[in-house]
Amino acid sequence: MTRRTDTRRPHPAAQLSRRGLLVGAGLGTAGLAAAHATPAIPNDQDVVDLTRRYPFYGKAEQAGIRTPPQRYVFFMTFDLTTNERSGLQLLLARWSASIAQLMKGETIGQVEPQRANGVGFDTGEALNLGAASLTVTVGLGPKVFTTAYGLAAQTPLLFRELNTLPSDALKPAFTGGDLSLQACADDPQVAYHAIRDLARIAKDTGTASTRWAVMGFGRASAGKGQSTPRNLLGFKDGTRNIKDDADFDRFVWVKDGPSWTRHGTYQVVRKIKMDIENWDTDRVSDQNNVFGRHKVSGAPLTGKNEFDTPKFAQAGEDGKPVIPDHAHVRLAAHENNDGLKILRRSYNYTEGINEVGLLDAGLLFIAYQNDPAHFETLQAKLGSSDALNEYISHIGSAVFFAPPAPHVGSYIGEGLFV
Amino acid sequence: MTRSLTVLLAGTALVGLVATANAANNSAAPLKNGVSQVGITLTGDNGGSCVLSHSAAKAGPVTFSVTNKTATGITEIELQSDNRILGEKENLAPGLPTVSFTLTLGGGKYQIYCPGARQETVEFTVTGEAAAAPSGSTADIFATGTKGYAKYVNGVVDDMMTAVDRLKTDIDAGNLPQAQADYARARPFYERIESSVDGFVMPGFKATDNAGNLDYLIDMRASNLDQKVGWHGFHAIERDLFQNKQITDETKKLAAELQKNVKLLDQVTRSLNYKPEDLANGAAELLEEVQRTKINGEEESYSHYDLIDFAGNVEGAQQAFAFLEPGIKKIDPDLAKQINDRFAVVLKLLDGYRDSKAPGGFKVYTAEMKTSDGAKLGRSIQALQEPMSKVAEKVATASK
Repeated sequence: MTRRTDTRRPHPAAQLSRRGLLVGAGLGTAGLAAAHATPAIPNDQDVVDLTRRYPFYGKAEQAGIRTPPQRYVFFMTFDLTTNERSGLQLLLARWSASIAQLMKGETIGQVEPQRANGVGFDTGEALNLGAASLTVTVGLGPKVFTTAYGLAAQTPLLFRELNTLPSDALKPAFTGGDLSLQACADDPQVAYHAIRDLARIAKDTGTASTRWAVMGFGRASAGKGQSTPRNLLGFKDGTRNIKDDADFDRFVWVKDGPSWTRHGTYQVVRKIKMDIENWDTDRVSDQNNVFGRHKVSGAPLTGKNEFDTPKFAQAGEDGKPVIPDHAHVRLAAHENNDGLKILRRSYNYTEGINEVGLLDAGLLFIAYQNDPAHFETLQAKLGSSDALNEYISHIGSAVFFAPPAPHVGSYIGEGLFV
Repeated sequence: MTRSLTVLLAGTALVGLVATANAANNSAAPLKNGVSQVGITLTGDNGGSCVLSHSAAKAGPVTFSVTNKTATGITEIELQSDNRILGEKENLAPGLPTVSFTLTLGGGKYQIYCPGARQETVEFTVTGEAAAAPSGSTADIFATGTKGYAKYVNGVVDDMMTAVDRLKTDIDAGNLPQAQADYARARPFYERIESSVDGFVMPGFKATDNAGNLDYLIDMRASNLDQKVGWHGFHAIERDLFQNKQITDETKKLAAELQKNVKLLDQVTRSLNYKPEDLANGAAELLEEVQRTKINGEEESYSHYDLIDFAGNVEGAQQAFAFLEPGIKKIDPDLAKQINDRFAVVLKLLDGYRDSKAPGGFKVYTAEMKTSDGAKLGRSIQALQEPMSKVAEKVATASK
């Protein structure tokens, strides 16, 4: 019997904070905290609570999209190895049931079977770690919607492979996939365990094999109620990210097409390598000009505070725009893209040191939008003109459709198999 | 949640189902065309429940229809008698269609085992005549398989002796090119049976003493040497033939030793008896060997004949499984099919590396090939390893 009964008990170290000391001061003596320039108490969603759980089943979108980004991600794509529709159904149903267990902080089955010749269902390394806000989000790739599975007619209205975009330096080893799993959690071992055990189910059922994966160690996007985190270039990332329900409805959730796709969204994933050493030796004024923001405050070069609206028309004494023409914020801003916004849910990753001795690191960029063309529009512009291109390259890419959450007794994508 | 689910279940319940955890209708299951019909419903209620529509049936054929409505933590069920598996269904998950299995049961006590349920075992009673003494039970079939496997191992060792004799003749004659070719031809035999290594200990030696361990003496790689015992066997010869490219007196000594040790192996294997789970665990271990030492090119680090060994391991695993297959087909035909399908994928993949002109029949596994194809080869084995790992438990608990 491996059922866990202690997951509701708060972990002794459950209440951790990125700014733990300030939290202590803030809670104890409000007057002292108020004297500080920075807010003493972080936003609710910045406090790590390792007992927090999110529901898997629901009536709208899957968890892990609107959910305030957790600290860690383990992202993996898979190739389908089954040629049968029933094989795909089996995998999605087994995954769904197991994800429901994992998101509750429970095992997916026995860890130590009673029979000597038994093999554990659950690999066990997440025992007693709590749910740690785990969400696992399933994405369906292009091969799913083909005649191979008799599902071509059910293709989400705007689903297709991404076009080749300017500055694409994609490597086959980090590109594509028929299915994706995005596991996010506040404990990296919880995220890792989830993907590991779900990958085992794929092999065990003979339906899919692993393709490529990235472990992200720090969130680089803020959700509602979170302060803006930083990417590995040291800049705040996602200051103007989608946070309000109205924007989610307008830019993220699918509204047209086959009925099973409602509350779904298109997931675009890019592995973006950063040339860390070159960036670190770049003068700060150039770094600020590359982003169009100040490094520490995150304020636009035309403002004082992070959330000040950038004034793209403002010129300096030399007559040139204060936010340069090639600045990242200018090219990406919704004001300069007919109001277009995408939801970013990215993570910083590292893979150690590369074959030529440089830090192998970057951004696992994950975006959700109700039309893959929205990403393409923005990236076409960035890929051709962004000053940041001197320091980054897009080496991996994939596109998936993230179906709505299943209801209890159902599984992800069940509506597809009518 | 539990409350509303209970209501939902009651509304759509199978005939006679009482929507309380594990409380089945005690009357005998209804008959349809002479077959008793028992429904098993899995729900997430009360931490995972396994509910029978009827807890009893008349002796004779019984069909169990299993539906996982909402149980996310239960993926399989078994029908057991005295801890022996009579039948089972795996891959159960909410949203999938009902699956069923039919067995002919004699009177007596049975258990429905639902691993992951709050109450994992539910009693099931069959009334009427006790079953006639079974003939050709699954356990008998497995026992026959182990005898067949023992013959297979002995045949492989015979072939190995012939091939090693030839290799020794080449080495004694100082014929390097011929010795290299015959090295390749001698390799696959050991790789087909190396999973039985636990039994390859010479009489009179402790299991931990490598000096009496034929696996060590025949097949040890440079990476795992025991300095006390020194290096012997195939891979020491491989180093001379493929790295030093020289046949020395030392090489001749190694060849003579190998010939002697393979003869000893022949004596040891003839006395070995196998249990059915030995075959299953052996097949799984051979696949682990592929993953651990062939795909990374460690096994044949001088000759790069790793694909010969790869094919040898796979053949050995397939043979071991083949001797269990008739029994597995009775217990879990889906698993048998899945394993056969995955073997077919691996063998088809291996066909792409065959080279009839090369000694041993396979291309040389170069560093480039490892980089370009290693992951593909590894994944094909992974897809076989997971289902194969389930076989041992099934054969060990097969009905008598």
